[in-house]
Amino acid sequence: MNFTPVTAPSGASVTDTSNSGEIRLVDLTKKFGDTHAVKDINLTIPHGSYCCLLGPSGCGKTTILRMIAGHEAPTSGEITIGGTSVLGLPPVQRGTAMMFQSYALFPHLSIRDNVAFYLKMRGVGRDERRKRADEMLERVQLAHLRDRMPAQLSGGQQQRVALARSLITNPRVLLLDEPLSALDEFLRLQMRVELKTLQAELGITFVHVTHTQPEAIALADMVVVMDTGRIDQAARARDIYNSPATPYVARFMGAQNVLTGKVESIEGGIAKLKSARGETFELAPQKAAPAVGDDLSFSVRRDYITIHKRADAETQTATNSVLGTVDSIEYQGNFVKVSLQVPGLDTFVANVPDHDYFIEPIGPGDAVTASWDKKHAHVLDRVDTGASEPYAAH
Amino acid sequence: MPSSQDRRPWTFYVLSLLMLLFVLFLYGPMISVLVLSFQGPSASLNFPLRDPSLIWFDELFNPTRVGDVPGAFSRSLPLALVVMVLTVLISVTAGFGFRHRFRGSGPLFYMAIASLIIPGLVLSIGILVTAQFLGLSASWYGTALGAHLTWTLPFGLLIMFAILGRLSPSYEEAAFDLGASRWQSIKDVVVPIVFPGMIAVALFGFTLSYDEFPRSWLTVGTRNTLPLEIWTMTTNVTSPALYALGTVTTVISFFVIAVALGSIILIQRRRSK
Repeated sequence: MNFTPVTAPSGASVTDTSNSGEIRLVDLTKKFGDTHAVKDINLTIPHGSYCCLLGPSGCGKTTILRMIAGHEAPTSGEITIGGTSVLGLPPVQRGTAMMFQSYALFPHLSIRDNVAFYLKMRGVGRDERRKRADEMLERVQLAHLRDRMPAQLSGGQQQRVALARSLITNPRVLLLDEPLSALDEFLRLQMRVELKTLQAELGITFVHVTHTQPEAIALADMVVVMDTGRIDQAARARDIYNSPATPYVARFMGAQNVLTGKVESIEGGIAKLKSARGETFELAPQKAAPAVGDDLSFSVRRDYITIHKRADAETQTATNSVLGTVDSIEYQGNFVKVSLQVPGLDTFVANVPDHDYFIEPIGPGDAVTASWDKKHAHVLDRVDTGASEPYAAH
Repeated sequence: MPSSQDRRPWTFYVLSLLMLLFVLFLYGPMISVLVLSFQGPSASLNFPLRDPSLIWFDELFNPTRVGDVPGAFSRSLPLALVVMVLTVLISVTAGFGFRHRFRGSGPLFYMAIASLIIPGLVLSIGILVTAQFLGLSASWYGTALGAHLTWTLPFGLLIMFAILGRLSPSYEEAAFDLGASRWQSIKDVVVPIVFPGMIAVALFGFTLSYDEFPRSWLTVGTRNTLPLEIWTMTTNVTSPALYALGTVTTVISFFVIAVALGSIILIQRRRSK
């Protein structure tokens, strides 16, 4: 698709002088009855960035999107776009446009009339709005289908119509509610690229809600990982993936093993930890130095774990390793996912490069030692309280 | 595929026979009435049909010999149309009102539906007695209209519940998102989407009123509606004029249904063209 930047429609009054799409959420809270859908959220989404709100169902990400859009009023807190408060304003005056999960194309209107709906509401004459709707359809390469009805279009085509219908309002913020979830895998990957390209071309802020980790990582300049009603971490995709802030983020992103131990000594910037099961770990705290006696949790990426077979009698572990039994093996193409049963841990996974795996193949039931280099241990901000979080990726 | 797979099982023939009998039972009487309404001057009420003619249709519109059919029709038709309009207006607005949960919405809904289970004749007596107590006289455009609405409104409301239950709130949100006012969103989005359902409500309102007997019985006052007139005729008219009347009323009902269904199909076709 070749999207050219949308020009401001002539005659459309822009209520604010600033065209910045910077979104700021301040102490934002939303209660439904007695339950907090969202609690004390503080977040700044820079102008022109692609932001993904990531989290399991019911974590409040869609509620945040709907509050930015003006479809839900916050219980307390402030929302500003481009520096001015938008609370109480209708969507068009906020400069936002929302793409609904089901697309919500009007079933009784043709594709062209769907796209022209915004112009019709503003009283733009019939010829003028048809011309502009056709231009917009041209941009999403659907001009030839303009007289069709929504029900006659495929999922991918419907999505492009929904995009065209949103973009004709010339928004400074585009809000997308799980835009790819209704598409099949092949189309999803294709539309993912198109969304990213579109955002780069338009230069406006995109806020994209998703529960799929790879989608967020592939698209976003900024990933906001949410747990029930609060933000656990908001950072660049690479930081979320490599340096998760909390055990929840580490588990949710699915690429990390989380371990915990008590700090026994700190020497020369290296902390020695002992786990409840007697294993010993070493790591270099990146941020604040922990105190001796503190509990400390850290994560190690799955692909930094090395696995070796061991004799059953071998019960003593070296530093930076755990003993386990192979639970399952999944071939993934370029690597093999080896899931271990480690006493006291819910999950422990090693992603072994397929070349290495087939030099020394192991199978379910084999006793193994899993080890890693201390430079790969990443200290988490919060002590692990067990993998009680639902939806943790395995 | 082996040919034995293509052969139909014996149950197919049994069920086909059953279906055939059912269709005969459904339409046989209607066809008999239709055919016999063209009976000749022999005035026989039974088959066979001799010297086919239209004299009984002529008889029908000559009130001296049979009941006052044109008069009854001139009351039933406007009554059915008024009931239709009121049913659509009230059911649609009430249906939208019930979309948002409010205090007491549950009991209110069940109260609205409860009149479906009250026997029509009992209701007819009740309305007459109440009207007399209030010093009102029974009339087809007053008490009978109210009686018919007790029958058509619950149906209309139930249909609107089914229609609006499937109407995703995201359509209205999308309209709001695209700058539509509340009124524009109703006029340009909601009503066009639920329009086929509104036609269904209108159809129910019209037909239920047009051939309502029990609720009309005591509430029409001194002038009969068509079903009451037909009933009177069955007791004192012994000519094929009765059949001619049956044919005429059936044709009118079919016409109304055809118009309604035709407009629904037209709308659906426009949407999926």
